[in-house]
Amino acid sequence: MRVMERLLRLVLAATLVLGASRAMADEVLLTLTGAVRDGQVMITRADLDAMDWHEISTSTTVTDGQPRFRGVLMRDILARAEASGDTVTAQALNDYIIDIPIDDFRNFDVLAALYMDGAALTPRDKGPVWIVYPRDDHGVLADIRYDMRWVWQLTALHVQ
Amino acid sequence: MTRLAGPLRYGGLSALIVVCLGLLVVAAANIVRIERQMQISATENMTWTFGQTQIEALNLAVALSNDADPAEVQLRVDLLVSRLNLLRDGPQWRFLQQAGLAEGLTGWRERLLALDPAEDGDRAVLAEHVAALSTVLRGKASRVMTREWQLQSERLDRLGQLHLLALAAIVGALIAGAALAALLIDRERRLTRARVDLLRADRLQRDLNRERTASEGYRRLTDLIAHQVRTPLAVIDSAMHRLTRPGNPPTPEVIRTKAEVSREAVARLVRLTDTALLMARVDRGAVAPKLGCHDLDRIATAAIEEMQSAGKEQRTGRVTLRPGNSRVTAICDPVLTGEILANLLGNALLYSPPESEIDVRPMHSGDLAICDVCDQGPGMTDEELASAFDNFARGARHRDLPGSGLGLPLARHLARLQGGDLTLKPREGGGLVARLTLPGKVAA
Repeated sequence: MRVMERLLRLVLAATLVLGASRAMADEVLLTLTGAVRDGQVMITRADLDAMDWHEISTSTTVTDGQPRFRGVLMRDILARAEASGDTVTAQALNDYIIDIPIDDFRNFDVLAALYMDGAALTPRDKGPVWIVYPRDDHGVLADIRYDMRWVWQLTALHVQ
Repeated sequence: MTRLAGPLRYGGLSALIVVCLGLLVVAAANIVRIERQMQISATENMTWTFGQTQIEALNLAVALSNDADPAEVQLRVDLLVSRLNLLRDGPQWRFLQQAGLAEGLTGWRERLLALDPAEDGDRAVLAEHVAALSTVLRGKASRVMTREWQLQSERLDRLGQLHLLALAAIVGALIAGAALAALLIDRERRLTRARVDLLRADRLQRDLNRERTASEGYRRLTDLIAHQVRTPLAVIDSAMHRLTRPGNPPTPEVIRTKAEVSREAVARLVRLTDTALLMARVDRGAVAPKLGCHDLDRIATAAIEEMQSAGKEQRTGRVTLRPGNSRVTAICDPVLTGEILANLLGNALLYSPPESEIDVRPMHSGDLAICDVCDQGPGMTDEELASAFDNFARGARHRDLPGSGLGLPLARHLARLQGGDLTLKPREGGGLVARLTLPGKVAA
């Protein structure tokens, strides 16, 4: 009996410790709604960590030089959420809302960036997630119509 | 002056072309520059960026005055910090500096971070700070917008100038092109006129030559009549005179002789007329050869026999046909070819000594059928050879022999009508070889 009790306590303690260390990892970064699996999919940092990460260097309209961005591909996120539709309505922390054609993510390697020049993006900058287009690789992307789709402080995606 | 006109005209043309192309290049370059400058960049959205900062400051102020829960206040602080960060980023900060609006916008972020409620900052001080920031932002917002529109207008002005420049270049090129086109059309018209003049001059020259030939022909015709028509007429006149002379009536023998002499004279006149008529028909192009494959040996034999049947056995006895190893087939009109051979035989008989041999030699040479008529007469001098085929040409030594001076030219005409030719050359050992060449075919 004592042994059982001790074992139980150990398991409980281990669970607590692991849970604490995973608090950050379990934080929901993105909420996908609409035409996705079960109508709603939460994407946590752990989910993103489990996906393939990519890196692009590109100029932006609001910074100098060509920062190096690191993150996962938007199309991978949508695939993970089993999204099916033509348009994604992206929403940011400050309620900035814009419709983005899903074709953009198929045609270009659009990144959901979490790091810029090695530093993690935070809500005090343009994080935690910034939609980044490979602007320097495709001439067509150097256009205000695409620049408007670079949503920073991204929090939600509604697929339709 | 005229020597300079050519290079001057070409120089002018080249200059026009260079101007035209140069202006087009200028226009194209300007259009490219316009295209490059026509993009709208997000940096030019400063009014919005600045407004967002203002809104976030107000939002935070509202949250603080409403005593909102810490998470909401934290979010508002984060967002305001992010907007202030955005204003400090390269392009935005440069815009503000150039507009002279950067002053008074520094230090706010650092102060805000120091008052961060997450780090137990004082909410009241924070509210004061945010209110002060809102005031500063409000004071600059309209000037940001003015500056932005100023920049946009200047950019549009620049685009307008480029556009005008391109337009001017295109109009210039248009004018140069029109001048070029006018010059080219004028030149083309002059060229056409010159070509027509040239054709006309050519035709005039040809007409003149024909007239000259004709008048030369008339002169020779007069000559011919003087010699060749007068002689038989004189013979006939003399015969008639003898038959009608008073005194002794002529014996039947004399009558017969005189009649024969007269008939021969008449025959010569008829032959002369026939030749002239045929020549006239050939000249008019009224003779169309009926070409076919014919045995040249047989045509030659027929020509010889016809001459004999015309009652000149005593003279044609010396004409010998010397056929080659194989039969010679020519592509020709047998009637015209017979006429040519009769003419050549007549000449040979006329001009060579009465007892000399005359050979007729049909033969092949490659694709050609050839018939040589060789006599042992006096031959012809180079001068005579050169003019032998001119109408009415008679050898100076034979003016008194019967002949029209049309025989050889006619024969050559007839040969050429059939795609062949007629040539004369001296015979080795004295005499003349008249060679008729016709398109031939080796008999199987």
